[in-house]
Amino acid sequence: MSENTTLRMEGILKEFPGVVANDHVDLSVERGEIHGLLGENGAGKSTLMKILYGLYSQDAGDVYFQGERLDLDSPQDAIDAGIGMVHQHFMLIPRLTVAENVVLGEREPATVFRDDAGEESWLPASIRNNGLVQSLAGTFSLGLDVPEQRIQELADRYGFDIDVSAKIWELDVGQQQRVEILKALYRDVDLLILDEPTAVLTPTEAERLFESLERLTDEGLSIIFITHKLKEVDAVVDRVTVLREGKNVGTAEVSSVTRADLAEMMVGREVLFEIDREAVDLGEPVLRASGVSAEDDRGIEALSGVDLTVRQGEVVGIAGVSGNGQKELAEVMAGIRDPTAGELVVSGTDITGAKPKRFVENGVSFVPEDRLRYGCAKDLSVMHNATMKDFDGAAFGDRGFLDYGKLEDYAETLVDEFDVRGVRDVTETDAGDLSGGNLQKLILAREIYRNPDLLVANQPTRGVDVGAIEFIRETLLEQRKEGTGIILLSEDLDEIFDLSDRILVVYEGEFVHETTPAEADRERIGLEMTGGSGDESASDPTASPAEVTQESES
Amino acid sequence: MNVAIDVNAREDVPAWLAYGTPVFTVLAALAVSAVALQLLDVNPLAAYATMFVETLTTEFGLTETLVKAVPLILTGLAVYLPLKAGLFNIGAEGQLIAGALAGTWVGLNVSLPGLALVPLMFAAAAVAGAVWAGIPAWLRAKWDVNEIITSLLLTFVALEIQSYLLRGPMQGGTGNFPQSARFSDAATIPELASGVHAGLLVAVAMVVVTYVMMNKTRLGFEITFVGSNHEAAQQAGMSRFKVYLLVFVVGGAFAAMGGISEIAGAQGRYRAAFEPGYGFTAIPIALLGRNSAIKVLLAGLFFAVLFVGGSSMEVAFGVPAALVEIIQALVILFLITAEFFKNYRVSLDFDRGPSGAAVEPQGGDD
Repeated sequence: MSENTTLRMEGILKEFPGVVANDHVDLSVERGEIHGLLGENGAGKSTLMKILYGLYSQDAGDVYFQGERLDLDSPQDAIDAGIGMVHQHFMLIPRLTVAENVVLGEREPATVFRDDAGEESWLPASIRNNGLVQSLAGTFSLGLDVPEQRIQELADRYGFDIDVSAKIWELDVGQQQRVEILKALYRDVDLLILDEPTAVLTPTEAERLFESLERLTDEGLSIIFITHKLKEVDAVVDRVTVLREGKNVGTAEVSSVTRADLAEMMVGREVLFEIDREAVDLGEPVLRASGVSAEDDRGIEALSGVDLTVRQGEVVGIAGVSGNGQKELAEVMAGIRDPTAGELVVSGTDITGAKPKRFVENGVSFVPEDRLRYGCAKDLSVMHNATMKDFDGAAFGDRGFLDYGKLEDYAETLVDEFDVRGVRDVTETDAGDLSGGNLQKLILAREIYRNPDLLVANQPTRGVDVGAIEFIRETLLEQRKEGTGIILLSEDLDEIFDLSDRILVVYEGEFVHETTPAEADRERIGLEMTGGSGDESASDPTASPAEVTQESES
Repeated sequence: MNVAIDVNAREDVPAWLAYGTPVFTVLAALAVSAVALQLLDVNPLAAYATMFVETLTTEFGLTETLVKAVPLILTGLAVYLPLKAGLFNIGAEGQLIAGALAGTWVGLNVSLPGLALVPLMFAAAAVAGAVWAGIPAWLRAKWDVNEIITSLLLTFVALEIQSYLLRGPMQGGTGNFPQSARFSDAATIPELASGVHAGLLVAVAMVVVTYVMMNKTRLGFEITFVGSNHEAAQQAGMSRFKVYLLVFVVGGAFAAMGGISEIAGAQGRYRAAFEPGYGFTAIPIALLGRNSAIKVLLAGLFFAVLFVGGSSMEVAFGVPAALVEIIQALVILFLITAEFFKNYRVSLDFDRGPSGAAVEPQGGDD
């Protein structure tokens, strides 16, 4: 162990009923490094970090930080010790300003009592600096005039391009994340834990984040970077520790290992990165959508007259930065959002504006982006969830009655064939007890086993571990051989490139670019995704095998 | 001293705990109530003997219990069914009144032989209860208006209508009391055995209907799914509108049958204060029995024992009625608390090393 070590976690053990989440894990982080923490879902990364951040208490083992043994009972203890954490889901209040969010929880006394108030306060400094007065003021007064200037300086120092007086809701996701980081920096932390920070970012925003992180480590900060994306490990991490099934399987210098090594460490077996894509003959169109417009939940137009044709056996990849109409597009195609204009023809039947049930009956399957909200009922059993689209069929009972034995058999078939793990008994295990990857496999199984004409898959591999990603992608490609037309919406460009026959780029509710993986130019796509080209005529309609409308900007 | 409380979800609930909890908690509630009884110079053991042993061993006690159980079970179902779909029907009381009024009107104004008249009264009551419950259900399904508030407020509307009718158009009998005329024999629900009217059969039949619907039909699957996650249910092609309307309408009909059973089976005429808030007692009944319609039946019977035993104790020992209500309330509170201990393990640790309260079980490690 070098002298430079700032954090040492030794023999951390944490058990939950029936699960050992951390099995005597050691971890050491050096000053000024970005330390990757890599592992599949359920490998124990979050548990380990929650222990470090004082959210869980370990059953055994010790934490040493900057030479001292820490007893962490709460996040406040961790922050006091100099450990900060940025969660995957931001904890910001949209209606407050950046500065107000930063000082939130770190209550400032009213200006008159602040020791650095100087001339602003009418209280003499001698009274102000009295310990008793300070502690009373700290407890009972509240300074709403925020020390904006201090925060702005902090932001500038690390090259964060943020206006601290802006309201949070005015910021984009990348900026909001920088506010979260600022919150930690403002509390003078020496170690920053980032929990899958890029999960919510676009590739460009991720690049910017990486730059900021380098800047932080130059200042002597240490960073623990939780991820399950190998690409990111290459991009920013100095050393990486891999967890598998709660155990530390090794720590390595990133420069000395390959991606394949890391993947194997994570999964415990070899992982294929290249997927074989057999050519499939495209058949009849299964979906013909023309001039489809839709509004988002706030009633603002999110989709502006798009045309989309998907044929049997075709995977149409839709690339774009989140919030450019993908959600609405997916929901309209799956029948759960009514379009405000245009028409939808599925396998020759016009079902524009029909109820979701008709879409289901017409062979439309849907893998929603938000698994827990739309994809399953987490408090119901695997059996309920596996059959939620098919229980109405004649196979499961006579007329109004339902044969639960058959539902159970059906669910067991899905669980076996799609390798859904963590199911003890399909009627006992709840969907919410499954890990993200296994739940996604279950949802995919349900949607695919009915052999749909059209499958709309929105972010099918988001937040899913490497092993499951591989399985899900292969399943999608397999299904297209059965003649299913697939709309794949993903923010992961690699996924779009690997799986699609045709790529459409969506920007502000319109398709602005169409290409094929073979001819695609990544930079061009990146530019189109962010509205960067600005030149409509630059897109190349000759690359398109099927129709696509180039909407002119209104 | 450092005290840490650890609360962990139980993986499996041991059988002795699952079946023992209700017994232990009732005993615990009675132990606490004993203090109050002692302060009133009443021997708690004697009082409890009257409350439970007498109720469950004498013919009078059993008869009364079964009669009281009819409206309790039916209104319990009226709350239970919407609860399965994720809705709170707080207005079972109003539906019970609406049904009782409609059934009474038919009973007093239609002349038919008993075999036809009583079913007609039940049908009229069911329709009125269904309509009364349908209003909040439609508002909720269509416009997302909170059903808790609307169903509760409609109860007060029903009470006002009752009070108008019993002082005006439906007023009958001798004197100027707010009550209807007596029912003819044809309009009276026949007795099964001494003192127990056939409404009990209706209640048991409705429990069976509800059980079969929830556990054997596609409709039950849909109700369960909508109740658990209505957004996923809609995505799967189920109709939230249909489910919301249906559970309330059927529930309202159940409550209404409870109302007319009580009037035409036990009371013989409609009196303004004919019942002690069955529709509200139905809420804890449904909460205790929320896992199955059979449990609603058991919870309904248990509350009937509390009602009957409570009044026997009141009469025998001169205990204030308020104390009886306190005992009932304590039993409910203890039972609900016990549910928590059944599902979570709580351990106290003194002076342990680095520790904190770990409340959550392992969440998804994303």
